[in-house]
Amino acid sequence: MKHRIVHLGLAAVIALILLPRGGMTQKFSDPPFKVKLDFNRWHDTDELYADMRKLAAAWPKFVKTSSIGKSHQGREIMLVTVNNPDTGPEMSKAAMFIEANVHGNEIQGGEICLYTVWYLMENYGRLEAVTRLVDERVFYLIPTINPDGRQYFFESPGGSARTGHVPVDDDNDGLFDEDGPDDLNGNGVIEQIRKYAPGQGTHRPSRLDPRLLEPVPFGETGDYILLGSEGIDNDKDGRVNEDGPGGYDGNRNYPSDWQPNYIQSGAMDYPTQLPEARAEVEFLASHPNIAGVQSYHNFGGMILRGPGAEAVGEYPRADVQAYDELGRNGERILPFYRYIVIWSGLYTVHGGFIDFTNDTLGMISFSNELWSNEQYYTSAELKEQQKDPDSPIAPQKSRFFFDDKLEFGDQFLDWKPFRHPDYGDVEIGGTWKKFTGRVPPRFMLEELCHRNMAFTLYQADEMPLVRLGETSVEKVGGDVYRAFVDISNPKVAPTILEKAAQNNTVRPDLLTLEGKNLEVISASWIDNKAVYKLRPSVTSLIDQKNLKRILIRNGLPGKTTRTIMYFLKGSGEITVKYDSVKGGTAAKTFKLRS
Amino acid sequence: MNPRKRAFRSRWAWFALPALFLAGGAAAQDFSKYLNNAEMTAWLKSFASAHKALVKLESIGKTLENRDLWMLAIANPAGVPAEERPALLLAANFEGDQLFGGALAMFTADYLVKNASRTEVKKCLDEGVVYILPRANPDGAEARWAPVLWDRRTNATPVDDDNDGQVDEDGPDDLNKDGLITFMRVADPSGAFIVDPEDKRAMRRADPKKGEKGEYALYWEGIDNDGDGFINEDPPGGVNINRNFMHEYPYHKSEAGRYMVSEAETRAVLEWIVKHRNIAAILTFGASDNLIIPPTSSGQLGPARGLDLVSFAEASVVGAGKTGMFAGGLASLLGRGGRGGGEMMISEDMLQMIMASGGLEMLFGGRGGGAQRGGTAASGAQQPSGRAAMPARQAATTVNASDLDYFRMIAQKYAEITGLRTPPLSAKPEGAFFQYGYFQFGVPSFSTPGWGLPDGPRGGGPGMSQGGGAPAGGPPGGGLPSAAQIQQFAAAMGQRAGALGQRGAAAAGGEAPAGIDKAILQWMDKEKIDGFVPWTKVKHPDFGEVEVGGFKPYAATNPSAAKIAELGKSHAEFALYLTSLFPRIRVAELEAKNHGGGLFRIKAEVSNEGFLPTALAHAVIARAVKPTMVQLQVPPESIVSGSAKTSFIQALNGSGKRQKFEWLIQAKPGETVALKIVSQKGGAAAASVVLK
Repeated sequence: MKHRIVHLGLAAVIALILLPRGGMTQKFSDPPFKVKLDFNRWHDTDELYADMRKLAAAWPKFVKTSSIGKSHQGREIMLVTVNNPDTGPEMSKAAMFIEANVHGNEIQGGEICLYTVWYLMENYGRLEAVTRLVDERVFYLIPTINPDGRQYFFESPGGSARTGHVPVDDDNDGLFDEDGPDDLNGNGVIEQIRKYAPGQGTHRPSRLDPRLLEPVPFGETGDYILLGSEGIDNDKDGRVNEDGPGGYDGNRNYPSDWQPNYIQSGAMDYPTQLPEARAEVEFLASHPNIAGVQSYHNFGGMILRGPGAEAVGEYPRADVQAYDELGRNGERILPFYRYIVIWSGLYTVHGGFIDFTNDTLGMISFSNELWSNEQYYTSAELKEQQKDPDSPIAPQKSRFFFDDKLEFGDQFLDWKPFRHPDYGDVEIGGTWKKFTGRVPPRFMLEELCHRNMAFTLYQADEMPLVRLGETSVEKVGGDVYRAFVDISNPKVAPTILEKAAQNNTVRPDLLTLEGKNLEVISASWIDNKAVYKLRPSVTSLIDQKNLKRILIRNGLPGKTTRTIMYFLKGSGEITVKYDSVKGGTAAKTFKLRS
Repeated sequence: MNPRKRAFRSRWAWFALPALFLAGGAAAQDFSKYLNNAEMTAWLKSFASAHKALVKLESIGKTLENRDLWMLAIANPAGVPAEERPALLLAANFEGDQLFGGALAMFTADYLVKNASRTEVKKCLDEGVVYILPRANPDGAEARWAPVLWDRRTNATPVDDDNDGQVDEDGPDDLNKDGLITFMRVADPSGAFIVDPEDKRAMRRADPKKGEKGEYALYWEGIDNDGDGFINEDPPGGVNINRNFMHEYPYHKSEAGRYMVSEAETRAVLEWIVKHRNIAAILTFGASDNLIIPPTSSGQLGPARGLDLVSFAEASVVGAGKTGMFAGGLASLLGRGGRGGGEMMISEDMLQMIMASGGLEMLFGGRGGGAQRGGTAASGAQQPSGRAAMPARQAATTVNASDLDYFRMIAQKYAEITGLRTPPLSAKPEGAFFQYGYFQFGVPSFSTPGWGLPDGPRGGGPGMSQGGGAPAGGPPGGGLPSAAQIQQFAAAMGQRAGALGQRGAAAAGGEAPAGIDKAILQWMDKEKIDGFVPWTKVKHPDFGEVEVGGFKPYAATNPSAAKIAELGKSHAEFALYLTSLFPRIRVAELEAKNHGGGLFRIKAEVSNEGFLPTALAHAVIARAVKPTMVQLQVPPESIVSGSAKTSFIQALNGSGKRQKFEWLIQAKPGETVALKIVSQKGGAAAASVVLK
């Protein structure tokens, strides 16, 4: 064992000496990437984490991996932080939080997280836009918030891998997770079982494709009986596969509009009961610098925003405006994705993650449903052709055509004979493998990663960014001065969402003045300084007691410049500072001198 | 699994000591005073160790200030393991100031053990378990022993109550140095309050329509520590644990925490209770009530009643959480567009009222005012496609009609046993534990302050109107409101001003019924309770001369400690009565008939010999209680016809109600067929029959 380690170490040293940075073979390649990762295959939890650590090792100044807690089965919940310490500590910059895979089978979000960190680092210093983003923002990524579910999806033969793995007594018999599916033929997939019963069956092969089994129409007979999915009655209670692993929905366990199980199935007994949800909630609640959230799911091609339930009420108009701007551009970045509201466009969700981040934490939150069936045949001509039922790519045949011609039969398992302990001679098969349907074909994964990353980076770029513009001072008389300070937020997102302001869920922005012997006589807001200077009008006084520390409870809207007009008494240097938890901090110094 | 092994598995390490030990070794507490945490802990420990055979003490969690959440389990350990028997949970002091309830809970523990040999008590402890959590909010309760007292309900979690970026920076200040935080009235021609002519100690809102002119402004006793213009708007702490549970959780309201179950105490209680599904009834002592006044015929709880003085003082700090709302858009709409945006020039009071009543959209009657409920018309988000939204189900908020008789009958019995007819102050339950107990945990669940005011009419009386909504609609007319309209609207809202103080018990219950202060004062006079500090002149740094006075902290929320023993006995009896109602599942009949050819017919009847059903109607709807499982212990393939091997009864009523089952099985004579019944709230039962 010791020998092996020594050998491996030696090999690594030799490799480092022989291969200069970038590698000889990359001399004319474009661009010469530093870290080679695969984006045409799926990474299980361990490999995903290992690749993230590889990125952290390659760019230790920017990329850090840590753990926000442990899953039910004891796996780390990995957090990857991308921050440039030279441009300030994490808390001083608006952050984008990206998480994925709360449903164990929705794996491609984890791949996007990996791609995002890799892309940001490979292009830092190479592309101006990426460099600026990394310098201005912080990125927090949780590549899988349900590492147990992700690993189960990879390791297990199938069944629903949506749930997490806290045991639930689905069948009320006092036993937990005691009767899940069983991979009888040991090929790694839970398939369908059918029995050949000529002339007495309930099903028959479809005329569209013999691999499809369809129920026989009334008055006709079929040759097959469909016996459900692979499994046996493990607990001998007379039922098959009635209590598999878990049995809840991790994305219904968050403490905003959480509802009990009979209203929202899968909600568990109380919000944040699941260790994964609790760890995530506690992390987010202690990171008020997070301004934007993306939660990757699959599938259907959607850019979702809240509210998850109608009763929660539509967002205030100002918030909708910001969401719409981002969502509409998202549709341009992501062909075949529609920007929709969860409850009205998808279905009602109570206790969902992005409701919590928007409603309780005031973070602009989207959830992308990755991958759409429409992406199998993308051109207008092919879509037209699909309307013809005789076409080989007509709806019910199209998946078979795609699997035959583009994936070389990788995804469909045909029927094969099997001897079942209870049913005797049967056939097992007729099933799509797990890496299809809800996830793209492997060769299309990289595009999915890039486009979704691009949308999320666009969102990150449009998070609030506070800037102090022109300051001007004029003497009024004696040691009394009038000062104008321009405050702007050139981005789409406001520093504080309107809903957050109404509910006091985000600390107000603070506008402070510091100076020796300074007295603030008055302060007032001016919407448009140019108009005001042309045609001065009476402004209303800011009715706060401490004018050296003004609270701006609903923040600075997006794409806005606002001016504050002070009447000041004093002399010397004055420092004005605008401090926003989500929009960063800006400060400027000016002098009281005519 | 054999019984010995199951007992070993129990989380409670029972000690099988001789029964004669039970009566001896009583721990020293005469229930003549309220106990601080150290005293309570010492008593609980000595009580548990003096009665090892019956009592087990466990800490189910720790608070921020590292205090234990103590849970007692009282049961006779012999026989069925405790966690498989129907149980009563007694819990108290979720609101830090509700000390009386905690004392009642401890008295009950002591009473059960002292009377363990009495027939009813023995039955209770032999066949059931009583769990007792006397103090769910020990950090909050400890404020009762601080050098300066104020009526604190919250735990120690630091909360920026006014959201100004500073935490706990403006707490109460004892101006008159009497060790009590009371109230402060300041002569102020723009004040809204006058001295109540009927009782000069009380204050009330001046009614301009009667020609009354306000003479005083009212505040909490204190100074403006952070110089923001508000007094005591951000005291130490915290979260009221009875506002942090999930049912009707008061989102974004004061004392509720940042989100549901944000607090260590809440989580500890929930983690514990979901592992104790044998709990068949819950009785809590606290600020809310559904026993003195039972739910109405439509399943609604009685109205909240809070002190006027508290709601007046709370109203003085509500604006702190709204300071700095930039209202450029609104100012423009009000015809100030050319003048630029700014702070709204309507008064702070009006702004608060507008915000508290649903914000600007209410002001504008929803006409383009922003948040239209559920509407997406204004959004660029795409409209429902083929997958139109399903009509959303709403969680129940009233007691199910089929469960009402149980609630009302039990409340009737409560009144008989305790003699209580008129609740004292009571808080509207929002996020309260006992509401979780019924609406989500699915068992009969009760709350009572545990004491009452004398001679009140039951369920009626002055100021008993339901806490209510704002005046209907916005201002008249379809256009944008004029300033005059806003004034009118605000005047209408003024009726509700008393209800705006969200931190107050009064506000939590919606409308504070005018005049409650006088009733409390009469009670104090009658009972000779020194609970009111006479208004006395004091110098104030900002206002100059002011008067400090009003109700003493804890005086209107707890009776004197002398009442603990008196009311403790009747509440212990009531707890005992509750345990007598539990469902009790039995195999009433089991028989086998041989049809020949190896075919047997098994018939069984399962009955509930208790009083309560195995699951309440709401529990069935809410799937909160597992259906009773009826399982025939034979290989599934031997069942030819009839019931399934594993069958379920959703709910079986008490008083001997039965349900029949029948199976045709293939078996051999001489074999034994067993039947296993498991009811979450009604215990387990088993029987077997030999095939002949």
